[in-house]
Amino acid sequence: MNMLRTENITMKFGGVTAVKDFSLNIDKGEIVALIGPNGAGKTTVFNMITGVYKPTSGKIFLKDKDITGYRPDKITSFGIARTFQNIRLFKELSVLDNVLIANHLRIKSNFIEAIVRLPKYNREEREMHEKSIELIKRVGLLDVIHEKSSSLPYGKQRRLEIARALATNPSILLLDEPAAGMNPKETEDLTEFIKEIRDEFDLTIFMIEHHMQVVMGISDRIYVLDYGVTIAEGNPNEIQNNPKVIEAYLGVSEDA
Amino acid sequence: MKRKKYNIIFSVILIILLFVILYFAKLYLDDYKSRILNLCAIYTILGLSLNLINGFTGLFSLGHAGFMAIGAYTTALLTMPIPIKEQNFFMAPLISPLDKIVWPFLPSLILGGILAAFVAFLIGAPVLRLKGDYLAIATLGFSEIIRVIFTNTQRLTNGALGLKGIPNTTNLFWSFGIAVITLIVMILLINSSYGRAFKAIREDEIAAENMGINLFKHKILAFTIGAFFAGIGGGLLGNLIGAIDPLMFRFFLTYNILLIIVLGGMGSITGTVISAFIITISMEALRFLDESINLGFFTIRGIPGLRMVVFSVLLMMVILFFRNGLMGNKEITLDILANKLSKKPLTKGGVKR
Repeated sequence: MNMLRTENITMKFGGVTAVKDFSLNIDKGEIVALIGPNGAGKTTVFNMITGVYKPTSGKIFLKDKDITGYRPDKITSFGIARTFQNIRLFKELSVLDNVLIANHLRIKSNFIEAIVRLPKYNREEREMHEKSIELIKRVGLLDVIHEKSSSLPYGKQRRLEIARALATNPSILLLDEPAAGMNPKETEDLTEFIKEIRDEFDLTIFMIEHHMQVVMGISDRIYVLDYGVTIAEGNPNEIQNNPKVIEAYLGVSEDA
Repeated sequence: MKRKKYNIIFSVILIILLFVILYFAKLYLDDYKSRILNLCAIYTILGLSLNLINGFTGLFSLGHAGFMAIGAYTTALLTMPIPIKEQNFFMAPLISPLDKIVWPFLPSLILGGILAAFVAFLIGAPVLRLKGDYLAIATLGFSEIIRVIFTNTQRLTNGALGLKGIPNTTNLFWSFGIAVITLIVMILLINSSYGRAFKAIREDEIAAENMGINLFKHKILAFTIGAFFAGIGGGLLGNLIGAIDPLMFRFFLTYNILLIIVLGGMGSITGTVISAFIITISMEALRFLDESINLGFFTIRGIPGLRMVVFSVLLMMVILFFRNGLMGNKEITLDILANKLSKKPLTKGGVKR
């Protein structure tokens, strides 16, 4: 089943074309990676899909529903959740609050019902709490649940960000460099973790990653961007042997 | 859950105790002292409402004086007896039907709040698209626009002459009663899912939006609720002082409230309450600075407004050295008090704090 599809999305900032005619097709349950040298436009692709930028042209479909041009919060409610390249947690708030906030989009009580604490609101609040605690337990942060999120070590902040994204009940999860700045052990754990949550939460995963170990280890398919243009697409094996990709990453040899 | 029940009972006892104290205060305090206490409560309301916008939602708004003016004029015009209205509007008669109606205090106050909230809703739509300093400038401008409009609508607000002889309905029970209600509403709101969404917007707008929070809706909500309580605070203030004019609602008034929340801690309810009392009382207590002071060997000539210099210096000190104010974004809750009293160390995850 088709989960996420983009048709020739292009993003221009003034005269600069950050991404050109990017077409993507992700099926349900796949783990797909987007790689490319720095400044290739990978995060721009993410920002277009999640509604931070409106594509200059092209269309984006989630489960065959056109979601081009919706606001980020709408797109999240349709079922796309994301994490950020440079962690964007709610720093001053506790781990629990961070996850609880991601439940807010499904709240049905209005603010007056919330202030008066109607039984309807109390029930919703209780459900949110139970669900959040369950998630926090799942990602192994139960012992720090009341800590300020900025006080956590880097690896745990990454996990918390994923937990927060999961709390929005996504069907597809977009991870922007989840392994950035992690040591080999943490990277290995993360790879396992991504696979596990994919199975457990019935997710489709689309990620940007520089760590080739992670990318080659878990992706079903890989897209390669260079200067905003898709230069290759295929399974890890094909990508590793693709001359264009090698050229983009390592350059061309002089005597070739 | 059990703890929650105790907390509610304890809060109720505290509130009853407060009103018993107020009863005696009303009996024994002279006019001057009870007016200061009234002001404390009113500034608490205003501080809490501004803190909801600035401290909790992170919108740097300076439009509070404008909302207060709307509330104060609405309440005053609705509660003033007809003969006094006629006395006030000798230049041009008050437009009908306002010249014929006299409402009781509570509905007037609430209507004042609702009107302030409605105006906040209208100006919020364009203004809340701005961020940071730009928002501050836009809201400040709005507040001045309100003031200028009120100066020039002779038949509605009596222009620069202001309104005199407003019934002095505000007493300790009114001001503290509404302050307690505001406090409870704020605590319940901030600790609800909506309150968490507000804080999320303060912490990181982009992340909040990507977590499914409708930025615009929540910003408008915080702004409107804040304006509602500002309107009510303004109404209480007008009916406490007995006379209002547009000059009362200059930027200076917003600055006072801003001082309260910055000193108390942006994003702390208890901090705001404590600092509202400290600032209001010291604003009166420092009045001797405005008069001439005889130091024995040297006499300082009285400079009106010198006491405000103290607050400016205080504000600078806070911004330079105690960026978080009195409380930061922490709260004194009954749980913490109970733990302190029973001398049990607060433990969380086995860590002694």
